[in-house]
Amino acid sequence: MTAEMTLVHAATTAASQPGTLLWLIPFLPLFGFLLNGLSGRKLKSTKVVDFFALGSVGVAFLLTLYYFIQLAGLPAEGRSIHQSLWTWFDVGGARVLGGLTTYKIQWAYKFDVLSGCMALLVTGAGFLIHLFSTGYMAEERNDGRYYRFMAYLNLFVFSMLNLVLGANIMMMFLGWEGVGLCSYLLIGFYFEKEFAAVAGKKAFVTNRIGDFGFMIGFFLIFQIFGSLDYDTLMGSVRAVAHLPAITLYGHTASPTWWFNLIGCCLFVGAMGKSAQIPLYVWLPDAMAGPTPVSALIHAATMVTSGLYMITRMNFIYVNAPVALAVVLAFGSLTAFVAATMGLAQYDIKKVLAYSTVSQLGFMFMGMGAGAFSAGMFHVFTHAAFKASLFLGSGSVIAACHHEQDMRNMGGLKKLMPITAMSMILATFAISGIFPFSGFFSKDEILWKVFEGWYQHGHYTGPTLNLVAWILGMLGAACTAFYMTRLIAMTFYGEYRGAGHDPHGLSVPSEAHGHDDAHGDPHDDHGHDDHGHAAPSHAAAHGHAAPDSHGHGPTEVSWRMWLPVSILAGLAVVLGFLNYPESLHRILPIVPSELFSKWIEPLLYQVAPAHHGEHVPPAIEYGLMAWATLVWAPAAMLLAWWMYKVDPSWSRAKAFVARFPVLYRWVNAKYYVDEFYEAALIEPIKRFSAQLWSFDTWVVDGVVNGAARATLIWAGLMNWVDEYLVDGAVDLVEYFVQETSGVFRGLQTGRVQNYAFVMFLGFLVFAFWKFLV
Amino acid sequence: MVNLNTVLLISSILFAIGIAGVLVRRNALVILMSIELMLNAANLNFIAFARHSGSVSGQAFALLVMGFAAAEVAVGLALVVALYRKRDTVQVDDINLLKG
Repeated sequence: MTAEMTLVHAATTAASQPGTLLWLIPFLPLFGFLLNGLSGRKLKSTKVVDFFALGSVGVAFLLTLYYFIQLAGLPAEGRSIHQSLWTWFDVGGARVLGGLTTYKIQWAYKFDVLSGCMALLVTGAGFLIHLFSTGYMAEERNDGRYYRFMAYLNLFVFSMLNLVLGANIMMMFLGWEGVGLCSYLLIGFYFEKEFAAVAGKKAFVTNRIGDFGFMIGFFLIFQIFGSLDYDTLMGSVRAVAHLPAITLYGHTASPTWWFNLIGCCLFVGAMGKSAQIPLYVWLPDAMAGPTPVSALIHAATMVTSGLYMITRMNFIYVNAPVALAVVLAFGSLTAFVAATMGLAQYDIKKVLAYSTVSQLGFMFMGMGAGAFSAGMFHVFTHAAFKASLFLGSGSVIAACHHEQDMRNMGGLKKLMPITAMSMILATFAISGIFPFSGFFSKDEILWKVFEGWYQHGHYTGPTLNLVAWILGMLGAACTAFYMTRLIAMTFYGEYRGAGHDPHGLSVPSEAHGHDDAHGDPHDDHGHDDHGHAAPSHAAAHGHAAPDSHGHGPTEVSWRMWLPVSILAGLAVVLGFLNYPESLHRILPIVPSELFSKWIEPLLYQVAPAHHGEHVPPAIEYGLMAWATLVWAPAAMLLAWWMYKVDPSWSRAKAFVARFPVLYRWVNAKYYVDEFYEAALIEPIKRFSAQLWSFDTWVVDGVVNGAARATLIWAGLMNWVDEYLVDGAVDLVEYFVQETSGVFRGLQTGRVQNYAFVMFLGFLVFAFWKFLV
Repeated sequence: MVNLNTVLLISSILFAIGIAGVLVRRNALVILMSIELMLNAANLNFIAFARHSGSVSGQAFALLVMGFAAAEVAVGLALVVALYRKRDTVQVDDINLLKG
């Protein structure tokens, strides 16, 4: 690429091919959800539930594969299949930059180089994890909520496919919220346990914070571009970027300023969904959900939607250097900090959770360095090896009777050989050992970050790149360490769960050992997500569930080890899809940079900022060899030496004894949760308590005061009525009564008296008439 | 030939006796009889003036009054009987519901 090179953007609506069955890819899982969700309770056999759930995702996968092959057959510039179903809503008349818009948001799907890959990932990994769930959730088959789990998983696949296949940001947002909902529902699947319900709420609320940023971001996009369709946005971004200034809400600034703002807002959304510092806290707690959920949602697919969104919005980010720097800074910080948190965890799922956070940080580093394809490639390799690791850990947990503490495991390699081999391969992949996939993706990212520092033949690039690179390398070492530690603690040594524990390493599984010393209330979350599982259930479904209590762990059923090994196999070979150009000489038969070239039509091309001169290949080779031959293996060997060679872990214990404060901080995850609790949640609670007392005393006080004043006034009125009005009436009555006595005497009631008076009157009349 | 004045005097005396009877006596039957006296005093006047003026219309009136008196005494006696049945007395002193 040269400096003056400017490409016209390839993906335009005109080049899109119509795809008539495209809508079925997301809607099939939706149908599965509706069928299972509405009728699952009444179905006699959970096999029917399996059929709907697996069938809908499986057919969706095949359909995705069909369209993917079709897509690959198209010329590179026109690789986009489009289907518009209906007008979702009409925002015509809204005021945007440059007048009133006539834009109508379509319910439309767009299958292009990026969404196609993501859809393959979602349906493929989704299908394997559905298959795994049929084994892992076997205990739920009898208590009537198995269908609910499967229905949620299907709903999740639908939402995720909407997210990736949607042809505009609104569709992505719909999926974005949908996966958030499904995440909440599935984390809280065992909602009768308080920690699961709390973890679900935490995930949802934390994500809402991110969503707020995301919404502000795409509102701004809509204000500036007047559209939310990716095609339109990509088509007009060049024109917008060359505007002299943009005025919105009375603020005038350059397009770059606005793009920086949009980029930062969108990144806040990505922070929430993809668990970056400072919003990562929900992801480790999300391990309260069943393990297949952790694998599908919290490792392979949903948490990568932030990455997908940033790649999709690359045309914004490429024009927003500050936003990119923010992404790089937060990504590298997360990659390092989360990796260190994983060093001292004993809960097998917690280790993997922090590993996921850390790996997501690596992906954001790639994005931040402008290497969207490298970051995106790590999404796919990570999905393979992390899903494999998570599912493998699920198998281990199920085999160990829902024990999650690694101190109570050990020696499982002999007992569960297939799971052990798969997880060991995945560990090599995540540690970045050549030629496993992690090497090709993670080291590509680290290399791009380093390359950003090396500019124009001098080491004069942004210092941030150097710092990020160092953090990334440290994070990579931590990754290799804690993963080897996990493998050594779980699969090597002696099985410590059956009472045979020569070194006194196991802990009571209820107390969960390491957390109560520090009073950490969050640590025992997700410990046992199957607390209700009765041994009789396990015995009744011996074909799928591991054996009942009293026996040692054995290999799990094929429904569980098959997905694990398939994903592990992918984790081994997937890296070759993006074989670096510089290693072409070593393996000339492998086509180089397939993935980068594949994704290229989607990426906005600017005059390259720092690709003008490449770093001398010697440095590239040197760094690659250093990372994969020395750095990562050294960390792995260190963990091996500490936890495998010495089965009593005395070296690790000595280290802890020597640096107790360091250990305590790392083990307690730097007290971030406690800090949030104290710095944010408590003040908010106190603030709400104050609002509540304001409500009680002032608002209610006004109402009560009005009532009281009315009462007093009414009392006064009562007095007036009683004493003045009634008094006047009574006085008249009294007067009449008193005076009536005189006249009452006349009223004798005797007719003769009246007759006498009448006679007298007659006499008087007669005298008056005749005599006067 | 009896003098007109003498007849009028007798009539007045009769009327006065009737009035006195109505006003003084307490027995309802006696009161009714006193009323008859007063009516007959009026009849005597009618006859006397008819004779004095040579017209017969006064005599016709006297006959009419006698008819009225018969009707009146029938109604009056019925009232007295009803009263007696109701109150077990014919003394008008006891009938004083209108006393204030």
